[in-house]
Amino acid sequence: MSDREIGRDAGCDPDAELVERVGRRDPAAVRALVERKLPRLLRLAMRMLGDRMEAEDVAQEAFERIWTHAPGWKAGQAKFDTWLHRVALNLCYDRLRAHRETPVDEAPDLPDNAATPAEHMEQRSRAMQIRAALAALPARQREALVLNYYQELSNVEAAALMGISVDALESLLSRARRNLRTLLIERGEGKEER
Amino acid sequence: MTRESDTRRLPPMDEARFRAIVDAYGADEQRWPHAERAAAQAWANAHRSEAHALLETAARLDDWLDRYEVAPATDALHRRIVGRAPVRVASRAHTWWSGAALAGVGLLGGLTGALAVSFFVLSGAPEAIHASSYDATYLTTSFGGSAADWSGQ
Repeated sequence: MSDREIGRDAGCDPDAELVERVGRRDPAAVRALVERKLPRLLRLAMRMLGDRMEAEDVAQEAFERIWTHAPGWKAGQAKFDTWLHRVALNLCYDRLRAHRETPVDEAPDLPDNAATPAEHMEQRSRAMQIRAALAALPARQREALVLNYYQELSNVEAAALMGISVDALESLLSRARRNLRTLLIERGEGKEER
Repeated sequence: MTRESDTRRLPPMDEARFRAIVDAYGADEQRWPHAERAAAQAWANAHRSEAHALLETAARLDDWLDRYEVAPATDALHRRIVGRAPVRVASRAHTWWSGAALAGVGLLGGLTGALAVSFFVLSGAPEAIHASSYDATYLTTSFGGSAADWSGQ
């Protein structure tokens, strides 16, 4: 799907004015756009790739695309956030193809909110498990879940972004959640019972 | 989560459809499709025990998913990205214009001053010449002397 085919319903794009200013090379707009989009891009890339350095590289490359395309950006053709998600996902897929979906098993990069060492261990352990489980999903299931659950795109937006119907998106989401349940809950309970 | 119109012909809300929604979107009703949310809530209220079992299973997975937090971007990454953005060099342009303006003002001031000096020199010349009759030394240096001083040697 081309960039222009995504998100045609961009009548009230909340980013349009800022992107237009970035296109005019306004330094304050550049800083504001990075402030607004970097956290979201980083979370998307991190959950798709499971690797902090690669996620940062994807975020940086996605912004390079913004700097290139912003001067020619025309509000109304595509919603900026949807376009940006597509750019970031394409960059993620480039890396996933390069690594052939190598599972990630190293320690995750997490904010440390734990009060005690035991809680800290528990938090890291849980986070490692969910990250490994997400990485073990087929890429399209992971993409559907990341877009809809974590990035909080509506089912219609996520389906349009992925170039599939809403029914197909629901099917991917159901399978993703069923696989995760098996990996995280049922196997875990099996281990505890032994 | 933004709302966009779901153009599907939506199925009637029954146990199968409620299950499909919870299986796909989880237990949090805010994540359910906007177009079906009210019908799904109504079904859950009317079938509490069946709904509870489905929601409880989904909520356990939601709890797992919510534990996957991503650490925020570092200042270094932030700076790196902002630093690579092509931006207008507004400050330099400003400096250039300011410098040019100052130079222009300075030049104009110099010309005005020169003009004024020329004017006073020309218009005040007779007085100056007249004044010289009282003190002719103004045309000589302090090392100068009158010819009469040397004539006697």
